[in-house]
This record gives sequence, C-alpha cells and structure tokens, in this order.
Amino acid sequence: MSGKVAVVGGGAFGWGLALAAERAGRQVLMWSRRPQRAGTERVRLVASLAELAAAELVFFAVPSPYLPELADELGQHLDGGHFLVHVSRGIVGEELQTLSQVLRSRTPCRRVGALAGPLVARALAEGEPGGGIVASRFPEVQTAVRDALGGAALRIYSTDDLIGAEFASTAVGLLAMAVGFARGVGLGPATLAVMASRGMSECARIGVGLGGRVETFNGLAGYGDLIAAVADDGRPELGVGRELAAGTPLAEVGRRVGGYVEGLESARKIAAYARHSGAHAPLVLLCADVFEGKVSSQDAVAALMGRRVGGE
Amino acid sequence: MFRLLSRPLRLPAFLGPAPRPDDPQIFRFNSERAPIISDVVRRVVKHYAGQPDRLLYVLNEAGNAEVRRLASQGDMEAGEALGQWKRLVRRLGKMDEQERIDALRERVGDFAEDIAGNFDPRVYALATRIVPGVLTALMSPSEVPQQLVSGFRQLDGLVTAEGPIDKLRRLAKIGTLVLVPTHSSNLDSVALGYVLMRERLPPVVYGAGKNLFSNPLISFFMHNLGAYRVDRRISAQLYKEVLKTYSCMMIERGYHSLFFPGGTRARSGMVERRLKLGLAGTGVEAFARNQARGVTRPVYFVPATLNYALVLEAETLIEDHLKGAGQSRYIIEDDESSRWERVYKFMHKLTQLRQAMVLRFGEPIDPFCNPVDDAGRSIAPSGRPVDPASYVKRNGVVTVDPARDAGYTRELGEAVARVYQRETVILWTQLVAHILYRHLVHATPELDLFGRQRVRGQVGMPRAQLEAEVGAARDKLLAFSAAGRVQVGPVLRTQSPQHIVAEALKAWDGYHTRAVAREVGADIMIEDPNLLLFYQNRLVPLAEELATPETEAAARTITAMGGRA
Repeated sequence: MSGKVAVVGGGAFGWGLALAAERAGRQVLMWSRRPQRAGTERVRLVASLAELAAAELVFFAVPSPYLPELADELGQHLDGGHFLVHVSRGIVGEELQTLSQVLRSRTPCRRVGALAGPLVARALAEGEPGGGIVASRFPEVQTAVRDALGGAALRIYSTDDLIGAEFASTAVGLLAMAVGFARGVGLGPATLAVMASRGMSECARIGVGLGGRVETFNGLAGYGDLIAAVADDGRPELGVGRELAAGTPLAEVGRRVGGYVEGLESARKIAAYARHSGAHAPLVLLCADVFEGKVSSQDAVAALMGRRVGGE
Repeated sequence: MFRLLSRPLRLPAFLGPAPRPDDPQIFRFNSERAPIISDVVRRVVKHYAGQPDRLLYVLNEAGNAEVRRLASQGDMEAGEALGQWKRLVRRLGKMDEQERIDALRERVGDFAEDIAGNFDPRVYALATRIVPGVLTALMSPSEVPQQLVSGFRQLDGLVTAEGPIDKLRRLAKIGTLVLVPTHSSNLDSVALGYVLMRERLPPVVYGAGKNLFSNPLISFFMHNLGAYRVDRRISAQLYKEVLKTYSCMMIERGYHSLFFPGGTRARSGMVERRLKLGLAGTGVEAFARNQARGVTRPVYFVPATLNYALVLEAETLIEDHLKGAGQSRYIIEDDESSRWERVYKFMHKLTQLRQAMVLRFGEPIDPFCNPVDDAGRSIAPSGRPVDPASYVKRNGVVTVDPARDAGYTRELGEAVARVYQRETVILWTQLVAHILYRHLVHATPELDLFGRQRVRGQVGMPRAQLEAEVGAARDKLLAFSAAGRVQVGPVLRTQSPQHIVAEALKAWDGYHTRAVAREVGADIMIEDPNLLLFYQNRLVPLAEELATPETEAAARTITAMGGRA
C-alpha cells in the first residue's frame, strides 16, 4: 500500500478532508455517489468503491444512515490492514450503536476510529488554523490520521476513548440544534450557557453508561466542539434549530438547510434510550419533544426554566 | 531438604516414551523446557537492555517488592531468596550497566525456572486411566466395581460437554487453541481437564496459583500435566513480565493454553461482563511474533462457560462479594476447596444429581474477533475468508507492536464477554433461586441489599406459586434460547416445573452448611438469602424480561444490584 488516502463521500466534509490530505502531500482517492465537482491534481475521483482498497487509511464522510450499506459494500474489498475513520455525528439503533461499532461489525477492519471536535469543512478545505480530535483504540490509527491531515495549521489531538468521542460528537450535534433553537426564540447568553452546560452533563452521563469517559465530554469532542457551535461557526445544526424556532414544519426544515441533519434523529434516539434506561436527561427529552413539534417553543422555555433546581 | 520437598517430583526422563509426530506439542515439552526458559530469559533481558533507566527501575522495584514480601513471609523458602534480593538492592547503585544486565538475567532465570511446568506423557496416560475411577470412588465408593464394568458412565452423566467439539478437535491440529472459560470454582481446571481428556481434545498448559501446588499429590499431577506456577504473592513488575513472556512463548511454540480471563473466581456468581484478558492477551502478541518470523500457524480463542448446579465454594465467595472484599482478597486460602471433607461432601452430593455440571464451548474466534470456519480460516462479515496476518501488518509489512495488540486485546475481551452471555447455560438451581429471591425482594420492598440479606426464615413462598412462576420463566428462557441469547440446561429443558423445584431443593439440601430454603407446610421458606443471591446472579441480565407484571419492580431492583457487581 502506498501513502494514498481514501475518502468515501464527496460532500463538503469529504472535500475538506481530501483537500487537507492533498495539502499534506498525499494522493487522494475519492468515491462519491453523485460527484459534484471534478478532481484536482492529487484528488482522483474513482467510479467504484473497490478502488479505495489501494489506500491504507479510508475516511467515511457520509451521513450515518448511508454508512452501514457502504461499509458492507466496501468491506468486501478490505482486509485487516485497512484503517477506517468516520466523521459522522450520528448513532444507529435503539442501543445507540456508534458508527465505529457499525464499521467493525460490517467490515473485516478492526483498526477503526472517529474524527471529532470543532473541525468544519471550510477550514479543512482552506487550511485555516483549527483543531480536532481523533479517537481510536489503536495508536497507529491516530498517527495515520495526523499524518494524513495535520499541517502547520491543523492540530489533531488524540484519545483512545472511541465510544466517548463518538457519543460526545453526536451529543454536540443535538445540542447545537438546541442552541440554534434557543437563539431563534430570543434567549440570551446566560440561558444558552445554562442549557448547553446542563445538556452536556446529561449526555456525558449517558455516554459514561455506554462505556465512554467523562473527560472526553469535557474535551475537544464535547465542550470544545460545543463552544464552536455557540460561537456560531455556521454549522447546519444551528440553522435547523433556528428554522424550528421560526415554526418551519419538520419536513420543510431538511429541504431548506439542504441535506440530512443528524441531530434530529439523534435527539429521538437518545431520548428513547434515556426513557428506556432510566437515565436522568430532562433536557434531552425536552429537545426531542420540541424538535418533533410535540412541545411549542413557549412551553419549552417555560418547561426548561421551571424545572426544580438541585445539586449540579 | 526443604528445597527437595518444595520442588515438584518428576520421573526420570530417560524412561519416557518418545512423542509421536501427531501428538500435541505438549508431549515434547520436556525436551523443550530448557530452551524455552533460556528464550524467555533472552527476550526479557532484551526488553530492558539498552534502556538503562528502565533497567535500573525494574530491578529496584523488584528488589524492594521482593524484600518486603519475603521478609513478611518469613519461612525457610523465603530466607534464601531474601538474602539474594537484599544483596542486589544494596549493590544496585554501584553496579555498571553490564553488571545490572547480568543481575537481571540471573533474577529472570530464577523466576522462569519457578514458573515453568513439566509434562510427563506417562503421568498423562496414568491420569487418563485413573481420574474417572478416582473421582467416582470419591463420589460414591460403593459403585466402583459396577462402574469398572460399565466404564465410569456415572461421571459422564454428571458432567455434560456441549459445543463445537468436533470442530475444536480439527482446529487443534491446524493451530493453537487458547481456551478462555468463565471461572467460578477451584474445580474448574479439574473439570476442564477431565472433559478435554474424555472428549479427546488435547491437554492444555495453564497457569495455576502456587497455593494449589502445596499439596504434594495435586502438585505431582498438576506439575507433570503441564501446569505452570503463578505466584500471586509476587507483585514485582519484572515477575509479571517474565510470566507474560513465558505464556506468550508457549503459544508461539504451539502449546494449547488455558486462561481464566476473569482473573479470579466470580465472587458474585454472575457471569463475568468485563474482561481484561490479562495473560490470555499474550495470544495476540504470540500470533504477531510468529507471523513476523514467517510462522503462519493460527491462534484460535475458544470461549467457554462452566456451569454448576452447585458451586463448591458458594458460601465463601458470596460472603466475600457482599463484604466488598472481592479484589483485595485475591487469594482465599481458607475456602471450601481447601477442606477435604467439604470437597468430599460436595462430590458426593453431585453424584446424586444428574447433569450437575455443563461445560459449554463457544464457537472459536481468531485473535481479531473473526469467526473461524471448519477449515480454520478466519471469516469476514461478507462471508469470505480474511487473512488474519493482515491485522498485524502496517503498509503490508508484519510488525510487532504492543500498543496495537493492547487494542486488539481490549476488543477480544469484549467479544469473549459477549460470548459468555450467549453461551451461559442456565441450570435448575439458578432459576429456582432467582424466583425465590425475586419473591424475597418483592416481599421486602422497604429493605436495602444488606438488610434483605439478613431476612432468614421469615419470608415464605407458596410452593404452587413458586412452581407456576418457575414454569413461566422457564418458557421465556426457552424462547431466549431459541433466539440464541442464552442456553438452557437439560433438566430445565425437559422436566416439569414441579420436578424442577423438587430437584433444586434436593440439590441444596445437605451440602451447604446452612439450609438455603426448606418446606414449611405448603410454603417454601427462604433461609439463606446469600446463597439464593449467589445462584440467582447468573440470571441478572435477564431478570427484567423474566418478570411478571407483579414482580417487575423486584426485577428492576435485582438488575440495579447487578450493575454494581
């Protein structure tokens, strides 16, 4: 295998990764269901997933619902020597299976990881200063990702708490929508701060139950990422939240912001899991109800602020 | 003289038969013993040489730990070694690097000699012939003449072996088996050894606590059947490195091995859910090291569950668990297995029960959690074979990388724990204990765990209700079993609820020092909540699904208690 890097998915994030790798001097193979732009000098678009097997490191930059099927198909061409890293903020199934678990169960690959934190597509593509976190139980995968993307301007930290990082990233997707929503209904910074902090604590509790570590939620994959959302880094989840606050029907929201929004589905799944497992997560439950239109924005604010206050 | 007594007895080597080509590797152990030890020493020395700071640290750490341990041990065996370690610690600061390496080599050599086992084919042949007889004699002496004629069928009826046994026999010829069973009793290794013998599976090497070697007779058999000695009192890092290297090298050389990845007997009676794998993890490293030098022999991990209707040490284990002393009292020197009359009583009791112990092998997996087909090939999720060597390659080249292997080991621990849940065989005593305990929780909602464990002889359950609830829960278990979530033992599968309850009461009666439950009129009175808790703990993961609408709250309490175990 050469120093090639593969990217599954030709959306904004896929291109961000490809261009970052190109800048790091790597040849990139990209597969996209519907290529929206032409390749570059070092980024070659390939017609079949099988061609990606020529790379050791494969990034998955597709929304979570598409990942299992693509993993099945690509998995037929891979072996234990490939490293798979995804950048999705989603989870699948009632038991909140993370996407690395999906990759592990559907491909022969074991050296898997996730890229999380306040990375945005545009900054990756243009080489702006920024940072993120790569999570994997395998130090080799952490190094491979850093080598493939890391430049002078991009700081990629690492952790072996894969489940924690994936779930923290998912939680931030949900909370970013809540932030957009809260802004949309005119809540101020103090209220946003309370909501974001309590929301993160709830998600951290659930994440620890799933096998993650609380430090991960306090790091780049959790709070770090959430701060970028609160500072309005232009991510789609914020727009979804604002649209919902403006009363746009759910079916319409997806169309307006363009593309699939993980946060909606995550909110529903995490809320269902919290109910089923008895985890204390009132804010997550409220978010899910609001996003699904079961609770109006006025009632949501009243419910949020009217809860009994106890120890943190 | 002391040295002579403390060393296990061995028969003169020159009288032994030569191993045949298709014999398992262990039949060649005696001729390989010396080279194995010197390889272990070489590898451990290489590990530390070239890193002067680390070398000095590991010697200092070992020296101080050993001086502390041996001084408190204070027996004759300790005296000699204590002097050596004291001298080393004193001189360490003045030594140059070569002298430190020489000292390391000497210490590692002593550790390795102490660890290395022995295998004598003659003792193995003897054991194959006499073990069933000895066990039967122990259990019911009056039946020996009759059993001699019938070939000790009683023992066969007592211990059931299930799982892909034919496949394991085949795989044992292709690769190296690493058995990783659950651990609930000191009898586990005996029971396993017997089943391997009976099912014509090859013998395995395994690390046995040094305390088990204190009995000369047991020591003779263990030592000559390939067990190596693990001295749990030694806390030195260096010792652990030697032990790890020894077990890794045995797997590299193709010795089928056995490890209890839970580390210690499950105090609570629950099936282990979190496994660190410990020494079993060396199977991954052994595979990588072999690949790196062109040896392609596969390694197969075989999870297994040992399921007892009665557990020899149940009383001590559950008391330890409730005291929260589980991990600190790592070595229990004074439990039932060290008292012959208890072992005798236990075995005697077992013979009155049929199928009282089920050993169930799970499907073998490779070191990277892939299933393995009948031909020994690793199978990817797509159904195609995948080359296991690809997992230890970086850019197409095999590498030895402990950090990577630690990642694989963690995943393997999780995979084995999942197999444990699926392959646990629920036995009748466990189900009856669960229903009785659930009733106790239901009847005492105001009490916490410790309060409830003191409720003796106060809560009874109408026998008819017990039988009805056992029947309903059994039907659910059968459905779970059909869905492949758990296994159900033979008695539960075939007998009526009335019979199941009667069998459980009979099993408990007369072995444990306290009555577990007894009949009072039409009621079954709960006498020992501790033992009920122990036996029912195997069902904790299923408790809520087995509950009836009335017992849902009790089942939730039981699940919540399990979360802490």
